[in-house]
Amino acid sequence: MEHADILLALAGIFGFYMAWNIGANDVANAMGTSVGSGALTLRRAVIVAAVLEFSGAFLAGSSVSETVRKGIIDTDLFSSDPTAFVCGMLAALLAAGVWLQIASYFGWPVSTTHSIVGAIIGFGVLYGGVEAVHWPKVWQIVSSWVISPLLSATISYLTFKLLLKNIFYQKNPLEATKRLAPLLVFIVMTILTLTMVFKGLKNLDLDLELGPALLIAMGVGIVSAIVTAVLVRRIESPTDDDSMSYHRMQYLANSLAKAKQHLRRVKDVSDPSVQEEIEQLIDRTEALTTTMDRKKGPTDTPSLNKVEKIFIYLQILSACFVAFAHGSNDVANAIGPLSAVLQTIAEGKVALESAVSPEVLALGGLGIVIGLATWGWRVMETVGRRITELTPSRGFTAEFAAATTIVLATKLGLPISTTHTLVGAVVGVGLARGMGALNLNTVRDIAISWVITVPAGAIFAMIFYKILMAFFG
Amino acid sequence: MRTIANLFGKSPFVPLQSHMRKVSECIDGLGELFQIFVNEDYDSIDEIARKISKTEHEADLVKNDIRNHLPRGLFLPVDRGKLLEIISTQDEIADTAENVAVLCSLKKLPVPATVKEVFLEFCTKSTECFHLSRAVIEQLDELLESGFGGVEAEKVRELVHAVAVKEHEVDLCQRKLLRIMFDSEDVLTYAEFHLWLRILAEISTISDLSENLADKVRTTLEIK
Repeated sequence: MEHADILLALAGIFGFYMAWNIGANDVANAMGTSVGSGALTLRRAVIVAAVLEFSGAFLAGSSVSETVRKGIIDTDLFSSDPTAFVCGMLAALLAAGVWLQIASYFGWPVSTTHSIVGAIIGFGVLYGGVEAVHWPKVWQIVSSWVISPLLSATISYLTFKLLLKNIFYQKNPLEATKRLAPLLVFIVMTILTLTMVFKGLKNLDLDLELGPALLIAMGVGIVSAIVTAVLVRRIESPTDDDSMSYHRMQYLANSLAKAKQHLRRVKDVSDPSVQEEIEQLIDRTEALTTTMDRKKGPTDTPSLNKVEKIFIYLQILSACFVAFAHGSNDVANAIGPLSAVLQTIAEGKVALESAVSPEVLALGGLGIVIGLATWGWRVMETVGRRITELTPSRGFTAEFAAATTIVLATKLGLPISTTHTLVGAVVGVGLARGMGALNLNTVRDIAISWVITVPAGAIFAMIFYKILMAFFG
Repeated sequence: MRTIANLFGKSPFVPLQSHMRKVSECIDGLGELFQIFVNEDYDSIDEIARKISKTEHEADLVKNDIRNHLPRGLFLPVDRGKLLEIISTQDEIADTAENVAVLCSLKKLPVPATVKEVFLEFCTKSTECFHLSRAVIEQLDELLESGFGGVEAEKVRELVHAVAVKEHEVDLCQRKLLRIMFDSEDVLTYAEFHLWLRILAEISTISDLSENLADKVRTTLEIK
């Protein structure tokens, strides 16, 4: 192939640019909720994101990359013309990157995933006509864009209802949280471990079948649940003066009222000599009731604050989960086309058999981390400052639902938008009456961006493809 | 692409509470005014009435701000209509406080000796009733935190009941006061008598509205 070196260099630059874009913009959306709820400081969020995004990309990022690389267009068509394929993939990367930059500038809520899928469809159609695109696969991907927010909304709605019923509606929310926390940790850790080890860690030669994978995952889940149980037991329960006192006060007030009633009855039937004494007793009970009433008045519920303190730790866990899931799904947007280009150049023909190499996944992960370090933290700060209304329990629910949906999609090899999934999850919590105010116009904006992004990515890809082919074709 | 940040609107609950605090300032001003009123210190009444008017205007500004930040696309855990009703009831309380202050400052109104004590009791009970309903509003953010159910909801339910009881007490007190007023018709001129009745009616509106307000919050609670 001619100009192989230049094409290789361009592939590296464009792929890195795309990964940088993901790190700079998307990670902030995924992690901003944790910063907003105060579960993580900005500094810690960046560190957690860097570590977990990279591990997600490196350890579990291959299946979606495969889909982006060869699931969308019919690579057989290009077997006689590898240069066109290389130029096409380069054009797709550049198109998605440029479109994202434009959209960021205007503040449109577009998704990296949608841009790259649109761009690949674009050059595929230009090269081989409508038949060049695997439409069934494309429809599957597109329907996953609708299904993923709906699914995460459902999961978060149900999870939050569960939290309401088992924690917030309980007489003692703190005790309830202590009971429930190990279970929540168990669920998160099991799913997280399962996604890693079940056909996951190919790059470490550690991919297991479902049976052993499930065993390991459950083991990790149980150990973390036990650790959690030990840790939460250390948290002090509020004393009687705090939340429980409300019900006790109620009981005391009722008993006092009864006592007064009985005393009156005694007074009515007793001798005048005793009557005076009883009169005094009644007066004293009266005084006691007044004191009680004064004490009973509206007070804050300190145990709710402590519940949120426990949820801060749970949310850190779910934030890790989100970062991992995000890395595993979104790295494909940069790495899919990049690895297609690298392999085609290396082998001189359109490669079909070999898998996405770990080195390329690592490069993608690195790109995301650098994007985060250079620009993403700033966006994260802005996002975090804007969503202060979110409490850790809500944040945990939303992140848990979104991350579960994303890892599910990753396992199915579907490139979905992490941000849109998270939006779905937050709306789910809102539907369960968990949020102060949600701006549903954002949902409309997202729908519009679906309609616009795919064609826009396609058109940009067509233009860049023509330009690149003019140079290298 | 700060999609997530755009999803979170400005929660109306905190401004709602700060509005209620402004309303509370009006009512507190009224408490001060009643003391001066029964002492027939006419010069100070005007000043306090002006102060209450000013606070009422500030409350109006907060109210408008809340209404402006409730676009149709905003999704709230409480029905939008109900929330707007809660705000207007709060606003009406402030308006009523202003009306009472204005009525008290219209004329150098004599306070018959027989009325004085019961009148003060009536005023105290009315403001107490308002402060109970204010406590309900103060619980709103806790209520949001606990998903409008559980211990918090129980607490609010109790408070709402307490408001209703207090309102009834105010009514009883008002009846007693009216009886005394009608007995002392020969002490007052017709205009004075008429003004007195209007003042009493306005003051009793405060507890009526407070009960109304508490009931409206009550309907937002999760039914178990």
